[in-house]
Amino acid sequence: MVGRICLRASRLSALRSRKKRGGGDASQTAKRIHARASRTGCAVALAAMFLMVGSAASAEESIFAFVYTTDLLPQGGKEVEQWITWRHQKNGGTYDQLEGRTEFEYGLASNLQAAVYLNYAWTQAYHNGPFGATTPPEQFADYMAGPDDFFNAKRFTGVSGELIYRILSPYTDGIGLALYTEPTIGKNFFELESKVILQKNYLDDLLTIAVNFTYAPEFRNVPSNDNPPVFNWQEETDINFGLAVSYRFIENWSAGFEFLNEREFNSFDFSHLSNSGYYLGPTIHFGGEHFFFTATALWQMPWATVHTDTVPGSLVNHLVLDNDFERFRFRLKAGYTF
Amino acid sequence: MKASHWVWLPVAVISTSAYATTYFTVEQAQRAIFPGASFTSMGQPNTWRTSNGGYFVVERVVGKHEYITVAIGINPNGTVKQIEIMDYRESYGYEVRDPSWRAQFVGKSASSPLQLGADIKNISGATLSSKHITDGVKRVLQNLRAKG
Repeated sequence: MVGRICLRASRLSALRSRKKRGGGDASQTAKRIHARASRTGCAVALAAMFLMVGSAASAEESIFAFVYTTDLLPQGGKEVEQWITWRHQKNGGTYDQLEGRTEFEYGLASNLQAAVYLNYAWTQAYHNGPFGATTPPEQFADYMAGPDDFFNAKRFTGVSGELIYRILSPYTDGIGLALYTEPTIGKNFFELESKVILQKNYLDDLLTIAVNFTYAPEFRNVPSNDNPPVFNWQEETDINFGLAVSYRFIENWSAGFEFLNEREFNSFDFSHLSNSGYYLGPTIHFGGEHFFFTATALWQMPWATVHTDTVPGSLVNHLVLDNDFERFRFRLKAGYTF
Repeated sequence: MKASHWVWLPVAVISTSAYATTYFTVEQAQRAIFPGASFTSMGQPNTWRTSNGGYFVVERVVGKHEYITVAIGINPNGTVKQIEIMDYRESYGYEVRDPSWRAQFVGKSASSPLQLGADIKNISGATLSSKHITDGVKRVLQNLRAKG
């Protein structure tokens, strides 16, 4: 998700950067020290959070952190999940974002699951964008930041609903197939994400392979390029592909990898492709009787190329680093079923 | 981020590892399925010949998170007398322990379909466990038939 929003934010920041460059070195040094200190604080907070979820009870689902499987709660089953996604490092400077999601899932039927999410985020960015300009990340695209500002913000980003309907089960039909829909509404933002989820198991169901195709059109109300006080609704479509493989190597524990290709179009008709990024990294999962956790670390692969709407300066060493693409991302999901 | 921040994560999680829920020991399962019988080991792990000519087999099958241990009693004519779930530690699907679900296996032989969704009912939320218990019973019956 980014598109015209990135175009706007990046160009605007670059423009301001050229106008304001040459500001006091002392203040910039102070800002860098501040950024480093905040980053360390963030790391400590993240580690503390892992410890907290780790000390919960004993075991269950979400075998991958980014890719979905067709495994659902049974009818009447309930689960609470907490997600933390850490996005780290752009073109240069400093950039960190922590996205939190708190979810409640409920099994409406044996093959239909519903969920509600609360979404919130915190970010800090400094000289992270094209041409060294400070650029707010996508979830803060409606915020203003000067090219040399230290941007630090937090917000409640919105509420999401989710429905997953399983058509085929990998355990009884040979292959799993499910349809997924997730509307999200927040301030200056609306998105409708849909997925087709496929799952195939091998080796007595110890090896799980899942594939996701995602289609997610969205609207964002962001400041206009020419007159920032005036906001315009802009459209974008995300088309994502996900592949994940995991093997249960001992009881309760499985490990594997996740691969993502995320594509963004500045339109609803698949024209104006702006970004296409590739991510790959390891995943580990623990599942017990009521408690589970899953963690995946993804690094962007240097396979990105320029497209028709790619923002100048956002592609560095074949990495696309526009608003919601970064060099590294890490997600932890922890859940409790009851 | 310093490595010291991470080292406590596996420690914290391992400390929460699931505990074993054992409903039957081998001896208890033998007495439940073949009351009054005596058991002779057949020289292979987890398989016993009973004094009335039947068989008692302990089979371990894959569950969602952990292995499930199943005791299978087989009549002298090769049909299932009774099965008991010895260990089960999953989030859902404790119905596999219900007598009505286990009763579906009684009378099945190596020639029976023993297929989840066909002659054995699925349990919502425990499809994987139900399937592997069913497959496990079938595997044991077929192995015994192959050995004559």
